[in-house]
Amino acid sequence: MYDPIRLEIFKNLFVAAAEEMGVTLGRTSFSPNIKERRDYSCAVFDGRGDMVAQAAHIPVHLGSQPLSVLSVIEHLALERGDVAILNDPFRGGTHLPDITLVSPVFVPGDDKPMFFVANRAHHADVGGMTAGSLPMATEIYQEGIIIPPVKIVEKGRLSEGIMNLILANVRTPQEREGDLSAQMAANNTGERRLLEIVERNGKEVTAQYMKELQNYAERMTREAIRQLPDGVYEFEDYMDNDGITDEPIRIKVAITIKGDEAVIDFTGSQPQVAGGVNAVYAVTLSAAFYVFRCSVGYDIPSNSGCMAPIKVIAPEGTVVNARPPAAVVGGNVETSQRMVDVLLGAMAKAAPEKYPAASCGSMNNITIGGIDPRSGKPFAYYETIAGGMGARPTSNGLDGVHTHMTNTLNTPVEAIEVAYPFRVTCYALRRGSGGKGKFRGGDGVIRELELRCDAQVTILSERRKFAPYGVLGGESGKPGENLHIRNGERRVLPSKINFVAKVGDSVSIATPGGGGYGSPG
Amino acid sequence: MLVVGIDIGGTFTDFITFDGKEMRTHKVLSTPSNQSMAVLQGLRELGVLGEPDLEIVHGSTVATNALLERKGGKVALITTQGFEDVLEIGRQNRPSLYDLNVQRLPPLVPSERRLGVPERTIYTGEVIQPLDEAAARRVARQVKDLGVDSLAICLLFSYANPSHEQRLVELCKEAGIKGFISASHQILPEYREYERTSTTVVNAYVVPVMDRYLSRLSAELGATPLRIMQSNGGAISAETAKTESIRTVLSGPAGGVVGALFLARLSGYDHIISFDMGGTSTDVSLCEGGINTTTESVVAGNAVRVPMIELHTVGAGGGSIARLDEGGALRVGPESAGADPGPICYGKGTEIAVTDANVVLGRISPDHFLGGRMKLHDEAARRAVDELARAMRMSREAVAEGIVRVANATMQRAIQVMSVERGHDPRDFALLSFGGAGGLHCCELAENLSIPRLIIPNHAGLLSAFGMITSDVVKDYSQTVLINTAATSQADLAKLFEPLDQRGLDEMLAEGLPRQRLRFARSLDMRYIGQSFEISVPWMDDYIAEFHRLHGVRYGYSNPKRPTEIVNLRLRTSGEVTPPEFPRLPAGSADPGAARLGASPVYYRGAWHDTPLYERERLQAGNTIDGLAVVYEKTATTLITPGFQGVVDEVGNIILTRK
Repeated sequence: MYDPIRLEIFKNLFVAAAEEMGVTLGRTSFSPNIKERRDYSCAVFDGRGDMVAQAAHIPVHLGSQPLSVLSVIEHLALERGDVAILNDPFRGGTHLPDITLVSPVFVPGDDKPMFFVANRAHHADVGGMTAGSLPMATEIYQEGIIIPPVKIVEKGRLSEGIMNLILANVRTPQEREGDLSAQMAANNTGERRLLEIVERNGKEVTAQYMKELQNYAERMTREAIRQLPDGVYEFEDYMDNDGITDEPIRIKVAITIKGDEAVIDFTGSQPQVAGGVNAVYAVTLSAAFYVFRCSVGYDIPSNSGCMAPIKVIAPEGTVVNARPPAAVVGGNVETSQRMVDVLLGAMAKAAPEKYPAASCGSMNNITIGGIDPRSGKPFAYYETIAGGMGARPTSNGLDGVHTHMTNTLNTPVEAIEVAYPFRVTCYALRRGSGGKGKFRGGDGVIRELELRCDAQVTILSERRKFAPYGVLGGESGKPGENLHIRNGERRVLPSKINFVAKVGDSVSIATPGGGGYGSPG
Repeated sequence: MLVVGIDIGGTFTDFITFDGKEMRTHKVLSTPSNQSMAVLQGLRELGVLGEPDLEIVHGSTVATNALLERKGGKVALITTQGFEDVLEIGRQNRPSLYDLNVQRLPPLVPSERRLGVPERTIYTGEVIQPLDEAAARRVARQVKDLGVDSLAICLLFSYANPSHEQRLVELCKEAGIKGFISASHQILPEYREYERTSTTVVNAYVVPVMDRYLSRLSAELGATPLRIMQSNGGAISAETAKTESIRTVLSGPAGGVVGALFLARLSGYDHIISFDMGGTSTDVSLCEGGINTTTESVVAGNAVRVPMIELHTVGAGGGSIARLDEGGALRVGPESAGADPGPICYGKGTEIAVTDANVVLGRISPDHFLGGRMKLHDEAARRAVDELARAMRMSREAVAEGIVRVANATMQRAIQVMSVERGHDPRDFALLSFGGAGGLHCCELAENLSIPRLIIPNHAGLLSAFGMITSDVVKDYSQTVLINTAATSQADLAKLFEPLDQRGLDEMLAEGLPRQRLRFARSLDMRYIGQSFEISVPWMDDYIAEFHRLHGVRYGYSNPKRPTEIVNLRLRTSGEVTPPEFPRLPAGSADPGAARLGASPVYYRGAWHDTPLYERERLQAGNTIDGLAVVYEKTATTLITPGFQGVVDEVGNIILTRK
């Protein structure tokens, strides 16, 4: 039997440990994606690898981070003072730029870890075909260096060999080294806090309440599912293409609600494709847990308990559970968003009074790489651009905001121009792009960059063809538009493209608006 | 010289006067609709209005309230064309991740009053597109036609070269725009366009309200010099506060911490963690010999990047509501019963608040609470806790103590954020508790955090007013430079500081301070090249080594081989004021018997204990109180736990030390 008072106190303690890891990571890292945009997650796990608490940083890591810890446990016998590193999407990762560090935490005198702490951060470059590591690849080997679970620190000593191997495979090694140091520091912070918790409360009580917290989150999630009407709810939608061919890609889901349990079945989704929009299972799990996490109207710790009442079926060899050697870089950033769209679409059939219209549906990724003429050194820029939020049952969608699986910050114009050879010529809301309705969808954003040198540009985006849907008679949001501008001439670019731009060229990204809710009447 | 410190609170406006020898205090009811009425009434009642050498320092919540209640001026914003929406997009993130109904506050300036002008400067300060004067004039006329109270101007890279902003100010004045113009290169010459725009707009938003208030008050006060407490813990003249009103948005809390530090110093401590527990929230701040400021504040949803006191606020206070949630955990806060209806024991409330738990535990006695002036419905509080106890299958006392423990956990987290997360060991600090409810919780917090010492200050209710009369006149200046440390020298930096030094000197002289009382403190915001967050490094010969050291302290690692850069220069100018002599308490023996109010049962750690009660006002210097004990005063109650022994020192502060 648990004590409701201790339950609440331990909830604070574990969430605080994860949050504090995030403070260390965000403040000391070097990748703009990590430090400015907070594209990272920190979490605390029990000795079996079940998540106890995760800091609320970015949803796409919600379901996927636990798999990296399980993979480490499966592949490595971690000892005191070890730190494991990995990014292999087929062994606990999501896509190659996301590098995860996992450390065991041993209570003094124990020979088994009582906890694991892990943090995952999006590095600006991990090698591969193009700078910024979001290439138009057709197999994962082209996407960058693959790091299977391996010890980067052994018994407290940095493995120089592993570090050098990684750094030799990336475009900006000094930045990578700084980021990895920050990630190690974050795990150290988490370890310190957890040992303090044990010291103060004792091992047994701490272990008991780790479990109780998981039970608690499970009870809350079951309660939320119970409030939905039993039934089978289906929805499907299409991604524009995979960037290699122009074929639409089907994502289909059937959600079965029965009592306090849910089965999410992606059977019927497209077989895996040549281009890099394949998602690994971890990403699909994240999308599913995100939608159910939003359905629990309470503030609960994100842990393995939230996932217990939910079963996710994703047939192997499809875009929602790709097999090697599929290219997967866009699965994490784009396919995950479409999975959320179809999941929410299905949920809206169960309870239209609770769920919104489709949001922008893309992270609108852009990477630019080349040699900075000011320094003669290579640069790799990566940014995601916000869009419009779908209208809600009781309010308009927000304008110019990141939705669902991401919540990363923009890079300030005044920081971009110091760091990269670009000029930002416009950053504005895209008025009128949100779908009309009783409540209107949020407007997207227009961001326009002028290049000060020749550079390789990659755009990885969605919803340029198929618009974000409205619900209950609400109109669709406007699809996005990518433009390449040379000497005043505007060329419309596809959703996904990699091309060489010349000095003086501009790239303009207009992001989709959100769908409307209810007929405009 | 007669100095009056005035602190305007929600209920009372507090006064402290000091004439160089004697200190007097006074209190009147606040007049929220026009705060100056209470100020004038109090001054009149004190008989000091019109005194020839009177000087007033005043903590003002005018700007704070204007922001919180969204009752500031009608503002227009001029930006670089194409960037009119920067204010609205912000950093493109949403405030909560898993809330499908998440909302953002609308921007302080709506889109129809955000106007762009064609122009462009780049990061080197070079102008690549001259300001289009014809277009600028058109925009100026549009602004005039909008009939705004106030105007903000924020152009890209104006921190590197303010010439276009300066020219726009001229053109707007020529166009006959009334009202103050806030130009970003004046308010915050630092990089990051959203934060600079937001800061400038907030200033423009609160200026009209502040100006109206101060003009009215000054008119009544005549020639009496009036200074306003700023968010950075220093005061400025009312004239400056009218145009740089943004510097006062945390005036009240800053005054409290300055006062807390002043009283702690009198007892010989200058490393303190101040802990201000109110009805709905608790503010924690850390002082290492001076108050700590931050440039990363968010006030009422708006980024405000001028240096302000570094506070961490959590939603736990005396009014925080306890409930058993759907998953079976005991929650306390952030919902609060506030002042109305208030806790159940106040008579109107229906939901159990932290104060009710303290009543049930006997830690607040109905006979002595607030000097016995307020009747407590202790029986109703017990009945409500009993009901919760049945649902939790626990005893009444265990539940009440549990509520206190959960609230403590939240407040403890706030103390950890300010200390441990910033590289400070809380054990090196004294915990100073103020605010009505803090005294009941501070010993247990100190125990949980292994803090060996606490200060329960004398006159805790007047701390902010103390802060007013003891604060220096302070002005902060900054300039973004973004220089690689390898490419500069201390001599070069000193040159870059010169314009700031000059501006600081001129403005401090204009504040009426004699040159010999001025102090100038330089610091550098530094980071490893490639990082995004800076650490403030004091100006010294070996500032680079100091940066590496501080990075290690704060984040657990440093790399002296990594190149570093200087992001901002900062200058703090201050004009010292002579702090008042504090009255001393009569010396007594160790025996506090003369202040004893009797005894009553108090529940602590699972059992009831017959516990001595004392009256603060009758304690004498040297009196020693062992926990478990409760000390009552007019505005606060302190629980001394068995782990601590309290000694009253000669200024009346109770110093609690771990036994």
